[in-house]
Amino acid sequence: MKPAVSDLAHVSAMFLRGRLNLFIFVTNDQVFGVCVLSKLNPDEARHEALDEASDSDLNRALSRRQFMVGSASLARGSLLVLSMPAILTACREAEQARSSGAEFKNLTPEEGAELAAMAARIIPTDETPGATEAGAIYFMDNVLGDEQRTEVLASLRDGLREMQYQVAVDYSESYFHLLDEVRQDEVLTTIETTPFFNTVRYLTLAGTFTMPQYGGNRDDMGMQLIGMERRMAWAPPFGFYDADYMERGE
Amino acid sequence: MAEAALPNYPTREEVDFVIIGSGAAGGIMAKELATAGHSVVLLEQGPHLTAEDFENDEWAVDHNNEHMWGASKGYPQTFRKSEADDAEERDIVCGYAHNVGGSSMHFSGNFWRFRPIDFMEASVRGTIAGTNFADWPISYEDLEPYYTKVDWEVGVSGLQGPWDPPRSREYPCAPMPIKGPDVLLERAAKALGLNPYPAPVAILSQPHNGRPPCQHCGYCNGFGCEFNAKSSSLVSMIPLALESGNCELRTFSTVYRIETNAEGRATEVLYYDADGNEQGQRTKAVVLCANGAETPRLLFLSESSRFPDGLANSSGMVGKNLMFNGYSTTVGLFNEPVNGWKSIPATRVIHDFYELDPALGFYGGGGIDGRHPTRGTPLGFALSSPLMFGGPSWGSDFKKDLAYRFSHCAAFDGHTTSLPQESNNITLDPNVQDKWGRPAIRCTYMDHQDDIATMRWFYEKSLELMEAAGGTNIGGFYAEDGQEGNVHLLGTCRMGVDPSTSVIDANHRTHDVPNLFLCDGSSLVTSGRGQPTMTIMALAFRAADMINQAAQRNEI
Repeated sequence: MKPAVSDLAHVSAMFLRGRLNLFIFVTNDQVFGVCVLSKLNPDEARHEALDEASDSDLNRALSRRQFMVGSASLARGSLLVLSMPAILTACREAEQARSSGAEFKNLTPEEGAELAAMAARIIPTDETPGATEAGAIYFMDNVLGDEQRTEVLASLRDGLREMQYQVAVDYSESYFHLLDEVRQDEVLTTIETTPFFNTVRYLTLAGTFTMPQYGGNRDDMGMQLIGMERRMAWAPPFGFYDADYMERGE
Repeated sequence: MAEAALPNYPTREEVDFVIIGSGAAGGIMAKELATAGHSVVLLEQGPHLTAEDFENDEWAVDHNNEHMWGASKGYPQTFRKSEADDAEERDIVCGYAHNVGGSSMHFSGNFWRFRPIDFMEASVRGTIAGTNFADWPISYEDLEPYYTKVDWEVGVSGLQGPWDPPRSREYPCAPMPIKGPDVLLERAAKALGLNPYPAPVAILSQPHNGRPPCQHCGYCNGFGCEFNAKSSSLVSMIPLALESGNCELRTFSTVYRIETNAEGRATEVLYYDADGNEQGQRTKAVVLCANGAETPRLLFLSESSRFPDGLANSSGMVGKNLMFNGYSTTVGLFNEPVNGWKSIPATRVIHDFYELDPALGFYGGGGIDGRHPTRGTPLGFALSSPLMFGGPSWGSDFKKDLAYRFSHCAAFDGHTTSLPQESNNITLDPNVQDKWGRPAIRCTYMDHQDDIATMRWFYEKSLELMEAAGGTNIGGFYAEDGQEGNVHLLGTCRMGVDPSTSVIDANHRTHDVPNLFLCDGSSLVTSGRGQPTMTIMALAFRAADMINQAAQRNEI
């Protein structure tokens, strides 16, 4: 039951089912470690929320929450707490790697260069930043290191070898990333329906649009790209139509 | 606060109640029984997460089973469309959150009440051949006081709609502010002569019961609320249960058997604790609130010579009549920023089609609301945008499409009925086990032809609305070949008067085991119109009331 997550039709059909059904698609790209508790910059978000919210009830609730975390709930969720140091270390390393241009942890330099070049054609850098600036390759390097993604990494390596063979045959070149962009796009067009390409596409999008602590979406660059801003609090109107609705007194 | 006063009941001494599952029903049950003075042990297989633990993290939540555990966390399930097929191992078929509060922690909070017709539809509409379509043993009037309890004690925001059932008290909180997708829906609906109105939601629009209002962060459906504004049992009920000093919450406790004695009474609940050690809590009574998939599984696992087909299953109805609710979605693009990715899932609903005209030739009904197509999630949107709206799936034009579409899109979603059929059911998988060695949940499901016809009807009506709203690149989806999973898990231990055709009586006591009570989605006789949690919570308040009264009469 492996690479169905790279099956575009499957993924999207599940999304179209909306609601929570979309979780079903999570199926096959096997999970990696839980980073949700790492909160590398939790205070930033909290303070923003506090600034935004004038409601005193909200402030009370937040401060009570801080207190509760300090006391009971940490002990209660002991399994999660126990796994925290390892998770934090992994996430910090990913952060450092992407900010310093350090070597990859799980990919070889060649693999990193190839996958980064593919990502750069999937979400190119043009008038606006792309997967390169978002650091999607560091996200890939990070999540592909998880033991539950061993098979995904292996299948990507197979895919890279096949692609490089084709590059050698068609263009007498050793690596995809050494081709010019026109030729890179030609290559990707010939493989765009393969599980290999769709896995790389999936990871590129995930590395561009998910939370920065996984190594990609630097400075929320991916979210900015699509007009999204990650904030803890908004107030109506949220967009054009509800503003218009309010204005007209509907 | 309450935590310091937590009791520590010895496992070898009987408590009054063991409650299995702390979700929408179990959380209410714990609060109601513990505050009435009973000693309660509340067993939950997941952690006790609080607002501080939640993060707007799509990668963890949607792509790494953070809350909805599946095969990758040691909890595989299997699926087949019919008994004739081999069941296929899946990550998740029947979806639910594994944590205190259960799926109420991450639900969309659509809190439509059922209506009087839902409880007597088989009489009014007529039975349907090949199904177990039946009346409930209780009426809307019986449940109304408990719906109102949910409104006020759990916290619901809304405004009485044009054909809403009568209510004994107004909503405690005003409706949530309208969002862009619902402005488009409302205008289109009015143009078609329909009557949209504010969606009732279990999300606070104003401070209530010491909790703050929604901050419209946008990561709502599927995510834990970082502000405690979503009215889960986690934030509305569990704290009160713990404050009572009578309820001991044991997390990471995986129940594998309910023991019964020679008299056929439940005596002990066996579970694995957080360290994997076998434990047994002795008890005077058991209330099973584990959800419509887990509850029947545990009853099957609790078989004995006295109960060879599973506990409380003399009717053979345990696990049967599984109902998912049907679903359709249509999507479109608009000229101005809709920004449906902010705030809550849905703020308007059309209920003009609660009952479809029987002249159509099939049974069904439901509602339509307006949403963001992928719950506001950016990765989900990026993955599915080309399939929803067309265009390339990579490259500069793909990127340009995303930049425009994410904020300029809307979805109109249909939520519909499912018919109860014995062939749709939960059983134990003979081949696949979870990490504890319990047989995996095997789901067998194929939507009834009327359910598919209903989905199609709502899909087509939603397309009409999307066109009337001025959408472009209109597309959509409904499960024309039948659904293969859901988060609504209804009907699998149905309520009824006749012990030969139902598992529990009108007061949630099992017909077969006098001190075993069941209350969760499994109790429902019919599916409602696609938003069951309000009714599950109302049933839990009512069941707890009945149990407390029975305890007073010494009739447990």
